[in-house]
Amino acid sequence: MNMISEYLSYPFIQRALLASVMVGILCPFVGNFVVLRRMSFFSDAISHSAFAGIAVGALFGIDLSLSSVIVAILIALIIAFLSERTTLSHDTVIGIAFSGAIASGMLVIGMLKGYRADLFTFLFGDILAITNNDLLLILIVSVLTVTALLAFLKPFLQITFNRDLARVEGINVRFFEYMLFLIIAIVITISLKIIGIVLVTSLLIVPAASAKNLASSMSRLFMLSSVFGIISGVAGLAASIYLNTSSGPTIVLVSIGIFSLTMFKRGNGH
Amino acid sequence: MHAISVENLCVKADNRHLIENITFSIEEGRIAAIIGPNGAGKTTLIKAILGLIPYETGSVTLFGHLFKHGNSHNKIGYVPQRLEFDRTFPLTVSELLHFTIPPRYSFPFHRKKGEEAHIDRLLKTVGAQELKERRIGSLSGGELQRVMIAKAIVNGPRLLILDEPASGVDIEGQERFHDLVRRLNKDKGLTVILISHDLNVVYRFADDVLCINRRLVCTGRPEETLTDDVIKSVYGEMMGAYIHSCHEHD
Repeated sequence: MNMISEYLSYPFIQRALLASVMVGILCPFVGNFVVLRRMSFFSDAISHSAFAGIAVGALFGIDLSLSSVIVAILIALIIAFLSERTTLSHDTVIGIAFSGAIASGMLVIGMLKGYRADLFTFLFGDILAITNNDLLLILIVSVLTVTALLAFLKPFLQITFNRDLARVEGINVRFFEYMLFLIIAIVITISLKIIGIVLVTSLLIVPAASAKNLASSMSRLFMLSSVFGIISGVAGLAASIYLNTSSGPTIVLVSIGIFSLTMFKRGNGH
Repeated sequence: MHAISVENLCVKADNRHLIENITFSIEEGRIAAIIGPNGAGKTTLIKAILGLIPYETGSVTLFGHLFKHGNSHNKIGYVPQRLEFDRTFPLTVSELLHFTIPPRYSFPFHRKKGEEAHIDRLLKTVGAQELKERRIGSLSGGELQRVMIAKAIVNGPRLLILDEPASGVDIEGQERFHDLVRRLNKDKGLTVILISHDLNVVYRFADDVLCINRRLVCTGRPEETLTDDVIKSVYGEMMGAYIHSCHEHD
């Protein structure tokens, strides 16, 4: 008990805890749409596109969070545009954008001189290195994103259920789909510092998939996914401190553990 | 008053006409059936009317107003031929209906008392009260169809478009479904356009028939319009003989 209160007295632990709770709510909330609309590959492509943004930011001395957000949004829009305007399948377009972004990122990283430790923070994430400014940014994005998604949840869910029916009901499907792509891109990039490029998609997908295994309604899906997200974040952070392991992978492994339990429960239920 | 008027509608894909110069009108309060062989362009016509696919030329007028996609103002309810959705989607019947009720931009999990009563009434109308808290993905074909009708009429449309609504449903389910459509037409004054492959259904339920084979082949009352010659010209000799025997049995 003493050890817990001692750890909680450290400001960097307090910031990490707050960040894990906020991202634990935010990522699965958006992740529900990623899972329901089968956009896992898209979100993976966006997170890896951020790598190119970070590389460009490092080369030109721009803030890495800002450059990663800009490039991620750009790639999301390119994917949406090409999917709409070409006869290529969605996953082919994503694959092309994905590999293009990675190749560009690697090329630019090769041009950098010297060792850049901050790049590794984005690659693998470090929740304990979160600053007050990062925390404020996560808070603002969380509030805006969750508010926007809740306000537009009816059209988002109608489009997710069936695009044609949504269009007949007068919903501007294209507008809301672009909006969702932008939200996913922003949420992924602000979560990078916590969980890293390599694993950020799992924080979107795994709690949402666990909740989908158990939920009998949409309201329960949103509630359960956030609960699983918070548990994964907080328990993962605590375990990583206790076991002295990397925080990002530990958080993801806790969420995978929850997913395995829900699979067992689902298997029993069917 | 005409519920819908379609003028010279043409839809092209890969430089080939899917439908060509289709012109017709349907009076308000009628049930009109669209028939035609596979590949005749029935679903294409419906999708063009709904603005789901672009048309090359022509116009659609709905209750006296030129209709463009997005300005239906809930005048149209639509039930597609094959509803494609993720069966594992954890969406209940009541949630599906609730999400369709305006205002569109409001917190979706908070239901007003009036909305709950409206959903109950709708489900009673379509005979699906017991399905209210069931997941959409767990419904049978017939149950899903009734729920989709409830969704289509949730905002009180004046025109209901059904694309082969009874396909994949057993005989009893089909009867029940067509009775429901007839009841909605009589009680709520809904104009109904339905695509059907079953000519018996057309004879029994439709006030008007539109026969399509890329072009409009015939239009009018089924008993006057669907002559042996017309049916043979649209469906071929075999179908002509089949319909002739159906007529005799009726």
